[in-house]
Amino acid sequence: MWIYEKKLEYPVRVNTTNPTLAAMIIEQFGGADGELSAAIRYLTQRWSMPIGKAKAILTDIGTEELVP
Amino acid sequence: MKNNQAELLEQLMEVGFVLVETNLYLDTHPDDERALRLHNTFSQKYKELECIYEAQYGPLKFTSMSVLPWQYVDDPWPWDVDFGKCRC
Repeated sequence: MWIYEKKLEYPVRVNTTNPTLAAMIIEQFGGADGELSAAIRYLTQRWSMPIGKAKAILTDIGTEELVP
Repeated sequence: MKNNQAELLEQLMEVGFVLVETNLYLDTHPDDERALRLHNTFSQKYKELECIYEAQYGPLKFTSMSVLPWQYVDDPWPWDVDFGKCRC
């Protein structure tokens, strides 16, 4: 199962307003080839992996993709 | 999976389930002392069980320690565990 840890993977520092960059980031996160859909694919495909190593790497990449 | 491993894992899941509920309750009732005591008791229990499980069967989380080779990749994965033989 998943547990939320009340911390960031990496510190966030936003200094300026940049709508163009914001649009790119939103597309990269939730868009057609974004991290959200990739995460769901990794976490679904891991169930049909034949060996532990493959289950592990898909679980952990899928988990990391979901990190906000 | 050895029977003892499945049993220990199931105990951990039970205590973890309690913590899910106390967590949700405390999120909206942070001043409830009785609920907090319940949470802390089970939190302590969870830590102990987790420590025992991981020492014997390897990491439950990627942040945990392991003997060589990295035991986290070992079968069975949670969706392959047969809980049928357990006491539940």
